[in-house]
Amino acid sequence: MKQVGVEIPKVDGLEKVLGQATFGADLSADSPLQLRVVRSTRPHAKIVSIETREAGKVDGVERVFTAKDIPGRNSIGTITKDQPVLAPDRVRSIGDPVALVAARTIGAAEEAAKKIAVLYEDLPSVSHPEEALKPHAPLIHQNGNLLIEFHIIKGDVHAGFKEADVTVEETYETTWVDHAYMEPDAGISYLDEKGRVTVVCPTQNVHYDQKEVAAFLALPLEGVRIIQSATGGGFGGRLDITVQCFLALAAFHLKRPVRIVYSREEVFQVTSKRHPLKIRYRSGAKKDGKLTAIEVEILGDTGAYASYGATVGIRSAVHATGPYEIPNVKVRSRMAYTNNPWSGAMRGFGVPQMAFAHESQMELLAQALGMDPIEIRLKNALTAGSETATGQTLVASIGIGQTLRKVKEWEDRHPIVKIDPERPYMKKGIGIGSMWYGIGNTGVANPSTAQMEIDPNGEVRLFSGAADIGQGSDTVFLQIASESLGIPLREIRLIRADTALTTDAGATSASRQTYISGNAILNAIKNIKQEAIKEASQLLGVDEKGLFYEEGKVKSRTCLTTSLPVWEVAKRSGKILRGEGIFDPETTKLDPKTGQGAPYATYAFATHLAEVEVDTETGKVKVIRVVASHDVGRAIHPKNVMGQITGGVAMGMGFALMEEYVPGGMASFVNYLIPTSKDIPEVIPILVEEHEPSGPFGAKGVGEPALIPCAPAILNAIADAIGERIYQLPANLERVLEAVRKKKAVISDQ
Amino acid sequence: MEITIKFTINGKMVKVEVPPHWTLLRLLRERLGLTGTKEGCGIGECGACTVLLDGMPVNACLVLAPKVDGRSVFTVEGLGSRDALHPLQKSYIEHGAVQCGFCTPGMLISSKALLDKNPHPTQDEIKEAISGNLCRCTGYQQIIEAIEAIDKDVRG
Repeated sequence: MKQVGVEIPKVDGLEKVLGQATFGADLSADSPLQLRVVRSTRPHAKIVSIETREAGKVDGVERVFTAKDIPGRNSIGTITKDQPVLAPDRVRSIGDPVALVAARTIGAAEEAAKKIAVLYEDLPSVSHPEEALKPHAPLIHQNGNLLIEFHIIKGDVHAGFKEADVTVEETYETTWVDHAYMEPDAGISYLDEKGRVTVVCPTQNVHYDQKEVAAFLALPLEGVRIIQSATGGGFGGRLDITVQCFLALAAFHLKRPVRIVYSREEVFQVTSKRHPLKIRYRSGAKKDGKLTAIEVEILGDTGAYASYGATVGIRSAVHATGPYEIPNVKVRSRMAYTNNPWSGAMRGFGVPQMAFAHESQMELLAQALGMDPIEIRLKNALTAGSETATGQTLVASIGIGQTLRKVKEWEDRHPIVKIDPERPYMKKGIGIGSMWYGIGNTGVANPSTAQMEIDPNGEVRLFSGAADIGQGSDTVFLQIASESLGIPLREIRLIRADTALTTDAGATSASRQTYISGNAILNAIKNIKQEAIKEASQLLGVDEKGLFYEEGKVKSRTCLTTSLPVWEVAKRSGKILRGEGIFDPETTKLDPKTGQGAPYATYAFATHLAEVEVDTETGKVKVIRVVASHDVGRAIHPKNVMGQITGGVAMGMGFALMEEYVPGGMASFVNYLIPTSKDIPEVIPILVEEHEPSGPFGAKGVGEPALIPCAPAILNAIADAIGERIYQLPANLERVLEAVRKKKAVISDQ
Repeated sequence: MEITIKFTINGKMVKVEVPPHWTLLRLLRERLGLTGTKEGCGIGECGACTVLLDGMPVNACLVLAPKVDGRSVFTVEGLGSRDALHPLQKSYIEHGAVQCGFCTPGMLISSKALLDKNPHPTQDEIKEAISGNLCRCTGYQQIIEAIEAIDKDVRG
């Protein structure tokens, strides 16, 4: 029953091409009330009063909610719970929710929302992390504006830099990026037949949502049910609460179905963003290219709320070296509160920003030493026995070298012609970007659970709480189950992402579901096989030791003709065969002072080569080609992996060249540009499968790795083309032109 | 106040009452229950609501409902059925052109509009035809491959 490595149709594909997949705004409910959120227009202010009387008089309005109506904990957040669902007395950024209207029509809800008068008393605000950390900066939260400070200390950087023949120091900056998932947030809520407050909406983690909503309503966990609807993308933006609490609050009080649909403008204005990071990076290397030391200072802007700020701060630091072995490392990573839009999780948790910095540094070192960019990377690439910056010794599945060699082979076969005599203003260039990425959460337990059942009617069921947000985990889980159970995929029913029916699989984030939930499913299958053998032993009167499981059957080790299909075992025993599975990757906590430890059980690796053409008269950069070489451990569904890579390249290209959210300014696709079909390069994916011994069938993950090396490769290619480097993302027309001008000025000086 | 309009939807004539300020998108989704057509931005920038109006691809969020009176509208629901998928639907599934699926209905309609007019498009023509349909998941490559494959099928 070969399923792994086979390109079966994605299991959710049919519903989606028929237009029948039910997304948040497609959910039907019995005459639902429509909800509308009233939001702060101030970056930082005390709420003096909220006048709702006029709003209440609007025809069709059922009720207006404010913070006073919240029965439980009015603060949400993954680790630090500092974000009010409805601001009680103070707003900390533009867009903070202040009140919620429920009305019979959308029109009435909108009209009432406009009539809610909020009286503010402005407070001094702060919009730069550097300013926020100064001694007398306005306090955004009681405990100060420093959310986290994290250090990694390995070896002796002073000695390391002394040893170096060259050192390079630069500062890199990135900005806010929107997830721009295509489906605006939306959902419904109602009390189900058991009286549970039930929320159906797009999400990346139903069990997290359930905990937050239950605490918010002061209900026991069982009093809340979260069901994931079809989810139109996530990219980290749906790890935080979006519409869940608003829906639940209204349904809880009104005991009627309610519905909310965000406009695109609202999605832009109120959902999380990628953290802007400022990275000061100093690297030292010997003449032969060997890195001797790095010293890195990271300062991030988490905005008004913590969300994933700590996660990003720590992960950025851990990944600061890039996929290289460096004996002496010193990293300080800080994350500051400001009154800016709140930053959260976005595909890579800070690693895309860090890769921009460490890959620019590698290029600068290569230039300083007169080395080939791939050669210097290979010289330093992590390999078996290497020690990471956190002191973890890597043992297996370390494909960075192989991804570099594959890209090199491609490059050697396809030399580019840099100058087009017909168009001398067009400059071509190529650039390399490499990365590593730890699979799963950083140095903390992040288990997944799953169950497998075979009932006496022969129905085979797989239970997983994991949210498939389009990347294809449902398909991958069924492939894993089918191959290891020896039962055809179409005969297995997947019950998924519903807190009433499934158990916690953790978040669809950190590229972790294939590896962690895939393993939990394998463990459930191991246990159900044991259960089947136990039952079969009674049915057949044979000792358990004399039986084994193979291809959907329990077979005898001694008598070749004795064999019972597993469904028959269930049928004849009259029992539901059941296997529970759990998997938690082996990690250790990072030392709070030195950041030492083994934060991940496995790492993915990748190298991209980008070929660009820069129009030096307009500043326009055309990415012609990206060769994307990825070590994924094992591609369980190669087409899905390819899809992650092509999608990651497109998003990486947006990050490199065009995407920039300006607070208070743009709130539509008219100004916030994401790549279209006409912008994208040709993508040539190369799979490197360095078997991960602890992975399901050897698999690791690819979701975030697909994006991470792309922007660095493009930025290095631009530098190669025009001879001048850009240190701030995005490399938009203005920045490219400025770099071109700078280069010309340097030439005319000489 | 509502007005009565008559038009053809996926080959069938319908007569509906609709407030004159409603868009075609709202009419399809809220009156006719055709939720396959999606709203991604509401201002004609993302293409998720692409439908055919007299065979031409349009953003249903920009067309006022009364404008379709006496005309013909075609949506993803008219494309194929569970048992008889349209070749494009089949090709999208086979080529991994579907990830989250939110842009898929609009993307399919733009693909159909292209192939109806030009059965043998070049890659650039395909890119041009779907350039008004944003997709954040796939990077478009597998969508382009899915459309190209149809061309090859037709040519045998």
